[in-house]
This record gives sequence, C-alpha cells and structure tokens, in this order.
Amino acid sequence: MTRPFLSIRAVRKTFGAFVAVHDVTIDVPKGEFLTFLGPSGSGKSTTLYAIAGFQDPTSGDVLLEDKSLLAVPSHKRNIGMVFQRYTLFPHLSVAENVAFPLRVRRRPDGEVKRKVADMLALVRLEKFADRYPGALSGGQQQRVALARALAYDPPILLMDEPLSALDKKLRQEIQAEIRRIHRETGVTILYVTHDQEEALHLSDRIALFKEGRIEQIGTGEDLYLRPASEFVAGFIGNSNFLPAEHLETESGAATVRLADGSIVKGVKATHALSRGQTARLMVRPEAFRLTPVSGNASLAVEIVDTAFFGDRRRVVARTGSGDEIDVRPSSDAAEPAGADAAASRRIFFDPAQAFLFPA
Amino acid sequence: MLLDYDRLGWLRAVLAAFTALVAAFLLLPVVFIILLSFGSSRWLAFPPTGWTLKWYQELLADPAWINAALTSAKIAAMAAILSVLVGLLASFSLVRGEFPGRQLLRGLLLTPMVLPVVVFAIAVYAFFLRIGLAGTTIGFVIAHTILALPFAIIPIATALEGFDKSIEDAAIVCGASPLQARLRITLPSIRIGIFSAAIFSFLASWDEVVVAIFMASPTLQTLPVKIWGSLRADLSPVVAAASSLLVGLTLCLMIVTALLRRRSSR
Ligand SMILES: Nc1ncnc2c1ncn2[C@@H]1O[C@H](COP(=O)(O)OP(=O)(O)O)[C@@H](O)[C@H]1O
Ligand SMILES: [Mg+2]
Repeated sequence: MTRPFLSIRAVRKTFGAFVAVHDVTIDVPKGEFLTFLGPSGSGKSTTLYAIAGFQDPTSGDVLLEDKSLLAVPSHKRNIGMVFQRYTLFPHLSVAENVAFPLRVRRRPDGEVKRKVADMLALVRLEKFADRYPGALSGGQQQRVALARALAYDPPILLMDEPLSALDKKLRQEIQAEIRRIHRETGVTILYVTHDQEEALHLSDRIALFKEGRIEQIGTGEDLYLRPASEFVAGFIGNSNFLPAEHLETESGAATVRLADGSIVKGVKATHALSRGQTARLMVRPEAFRLTPVSGNASLAVEIVDTAFFGDRRRVVARTGSGDEIDVRPSSDAAEPAGADAAASRRIFFDPAQAFLFPA
Repeated sequence: MLLDYDRLGWLRAVLAAFTALVAAFLLLPVVFIILLSFGSSRWLAFPPTGWTLKWYQELLADPAWINAALTSAKIAAMAAILSVLVGLLASFSLVRGEFPGRQLLRGLLLTPMVLPVVVFAIAVYAFFLRIGLAGTTIGFVIAHTILALPFAIIPIATALEGFDKSIEDAAIVCGASPLQARLRITLPSIRIGIFSAAIFSFLASWDEVVVAIFMASPTLQTLPVKIWGSLRADLSPVVAAASSLLVGLTLCLMIVTALLRRRSSR
C-alpha cells in the first residue's frame, strides 16, 4: 500500500476531564478534498488545530509524508489556513496581506510581486490589490485570506468554516470558487463545516464527526446512500424514521413489522439485530412515491399538507400512529398531484432504499 | 431602559442645562487664568483693564521657567515611554493570560488611579530616600511611570481586547514567529490604543504636582512645581502665563488624540 500523504493517527485531545477528540485516525492522500462535517462542538476544529499546531494533542501523532509535525512549531509547519473569522491584517492592503507570508520567508521582491499577482488572479480580485480589508465585503475578505494562505504553496490547506459568516447565495458562489481553486492548484484541503450541503458539494470524502469521534468516513454518496448509523442518516440529507420491530435478517436484507402491523421485506440492515428488537426504519423523503411500482411497500397515511416546489412536491403525511413523514416525490407526470390535504391514501417506497437501525 | 436618552422627553432639557453648568464650573477657572495671563495688570485684577503679551515675554526670557518646562517635558516623555512599554507587557498578560490572580493583578496595576496621591507620594518618597533615588531624575521618572501606568494599561488593554487573536494566529500560520506576529501585526493593529496610552501617560506626568513636589530638588523642578513655588513666593501674572501654556499643550494633545481616534473609527 502506498504511504498516505497526511496521516492523523489516534489523535486525542482532552480539556481537563472532557475529551474533545477521541483517538481520531484518518489517512489523507495527496490532493484530496476532505471535509470534517459534524454538529457544533463535535471536535472538528480541535482536530484541525492539532494539525495547524495551535493545539497540542494529548496523545497521538500527525505525520506529513512520514514526518511527525508535532515537534514543529506552527509558524514552521508551512501549512495554509483560512479561519472562520475574518483574519486579514487590518493595517495592510490586500496585496500586502497576500505578500506577508512571502515577506516573512524573505523571498526576493520580484518573486513576491509575481506571486501576489498570480494569487489575486486566482481568486479574481486583481482590481482590489490596493484596497484595505475594511473596504471589502465578507466574501472578498475570505477570498483574499484564501489567496494569502496559498501564496507560499503550502502542501496542505486547512479551512475552518470559512463561509459560515456569509449569506447563502454568496456561500454557494464561493464554494464554486473553492472547487475551481482546488482543481487548479491540486492542493490537499482539509475543510471544516457543519453544513452538510456544503460538505456534499465540495468534498472528495467526508469524515462525519460526532462527540469527538468519526462516525463514518467516505464519499458523499457513501454517507448518503449507505449510512453506517442513524446519526449519519439523520445528519446527511433529510430522513424519516419510522418505528419498527425487527423480525429477521438474511444476508443484509431484513424483514420488519411497522407500527400499523404491516410487514415489510427486504430493507437494508447495517447492524446485527435480534428477533423482536425494536428498531427504526429510515426512508429518505425522495424515496417515497405517490404511485406504486411493483415490489414497493406501502404505508397508509393521511395527507396533512402539500406544496409545489417546481422539480419536486413536498407532502407532509401522518401515519396512523401519529408519525409525521416528509415526502418529496418528483413532480413529473408519473407522480400526479392527487394528494389533497386531509385525504387518506397510501404512499409507497422501495424497501431496498430503506435502512434499519437499532432504536 | 429607564435612562434611555431618547425617551427622557423634557428631562433632556434639564439634563443639558445641568451638564452645561458642570462644564462651566470645571472650565471657568481655566478660562479665568488664561484671560488673566493676557491682562495688563500687575496684580491679577479681573476683569483685565488692558491686554498685553508681556507676561509671556517675561516667561520665555526667564531660564528658570524654560528649564522647568524642559524638565517637565523630559520627565513626561521618559515616563510615557516607560509606561507604554510596561503597559504593553502588562496588557498582554492581563488580556491574553490565563493565570490565577489575573483580576488581582489588574486591580493592583490600576490602584495608582484611585489611591490618594499624597499617600502614594509620601510612600514613594520614603522608599526612594532609603534607596537613594530621592531627588534624582530616575526616581522622578519611576514615580511618574507608576502613576501613569493605569492611563497606559486602560487604552492598550481595551484595544487588545478588541483585536481578534485569530488575526495573530493567521500571521503565525503564515510563517511569522509569535514575536514577529506581535510586532508586525498585533502592535500596528492596536496602534491607536498605544498612541493614546503614550499621550495620556505623558499628560499624567506633565501636569502632576503632588508627587512632583516630593520628587523635586532645587535643581530638578517641573513646570507644575515651579508654578506652585512661584504662587507662594509672588503672585505674578507670569504664573498665569505658565499655567496657560501648560493647559495649552494638554489641550493640543487631547485634541490630537480625539482626532486620531475619530479617523481610525471611520
Ligand atoms: N480551549 C478549550 N478549553 C476547553 N474546552 C474546549 C476548548 N476548545 C474546545 N473545547 C471543547 O471541545 C469541544 C470540541 O470543540 P471544537 O473542536 O471547537 O468543536 P467544533 O469545531 O466541531 O464545533 C467543544 O465541546 C468545546 O467546548
Ligand atoms: Mg469549530
């Protein structure tokens, strides 16, 4: 097996008795865009800071091309970083900000000038070279911060929720910029966010954090289509969870009984469950249909509300046992509107797109 | 809120009148002195019967006054430099430090502001007598530095609190050593606070009289001490001229500080 480029090995960080990061281990190949996703307080930043050198891990190691970084002070790690807060140097112009890392490295003037121009072109802010940070919008400031972090060609770029202070539209614009810059520079990026859409949009792989541990690591598709736990299923995308009783499992396909007594065969079981064990059946909103296809399971519901969203409809349904279900069938001809509020009807889903988790 | 200015209604007029009264009460003596310094009467008669600049000419012709002014300026400048340097170090540990007793240290460093000056003056004098610093320029500067320190710490610590430490961290990941990051990024970012600290410290020493009387010697006299001495010897309008100059410089420095703060907050 080829050696990993960046290797995070059993990194653990405690604050007093509180364990913020539990033995996190990740190998990152060169050029990968890896995102740490997870709720606030799950240890993403702390792990990132251990790599940047702002936090010394309590135990574990961080290796870059087989050499431990831990003994190297932050300013000698040669790592790029973009922070959640705006961190441009307020008394320096945009060009001087980008030049700063090159100046402290005592690069010759000509090279500094050339590099600054390249970097500002990369983030498309050439025209702003002489502005001061106070005269830039939040999005522009973060792009300058990105240019500054890449000016010295760091092997790794760390980004800690760099877009969280921006509004949604701007966020999407800059996400596209970040993707392009990743493609053009090939730099290895570790990106922290609590926004699952952002993670899905940007990443090659996502490490989903929960309470200081990695709950699952894989591509966005892995996490979305093959969630390893109820937490993952709940965090990535929208999910409905129905109470169910596990009856039996045969080679990964389980049979369950739902609250209304109906039996559903062939749902995906990721965990070993015993007979009669209470469980939760997860079905994505878009996996539900209003018209049956052969082999589908069905659910008797009452329609609470319906709305039209162009490509999709959104239907809120309630089961006989009172669970609300979010249903988002596509709005094409195969899925006729016929779902009036207060009407009783059946909705359908493919068991192979339903996941069973222990309750 | 109960004391929301916008909701005070007619009370606003009362408040304005009261404020004007207090300001007048504080400022009138100063205005009085300045007017007297231009009055032609030898006996400080008010209102002045005629106007003249001769007291200023007399003042500037007297080497004793010039010396006192230079001594004041020298001591105030040294006290300001020292107080800013110590204030910087103290502010960093007060704002950034996470050691027990931080609040205590903060209180301690700010006590010169609330301690009765006479008590401080006598204590320092007694101590300096013992260690041989009484009547020396160094002793004078040290005493004034201690007095000025709160006026340095408050603006610097405030500026530092308002400065996001992530910016310094960013400089460090960029390759600057922690010291470089502070010198090249943090200090320039809080320069208005540092400048205010220097001016306030300078002024704290420049117009200080109580400690100065204890620290003074016949050859080491600051302007306020000389004014004080002259007042008791003979009440001449030259003293009013000296006081006016003292006030003048103070005013200039305050205005410069205010302008700078205004410009940087825009
Ligand atoms: N310096 C610190 N002292 C004490 N607790 C901390 C410190 N830094 C982080 N923590 C705690 O560690 C946990 C993880 O924090 P963090 O890594 O910042 O989470 P995230 O970035 O995922 O939101 C949080 O519960 C936080 O309160
Ligand atoms: Mg964080």
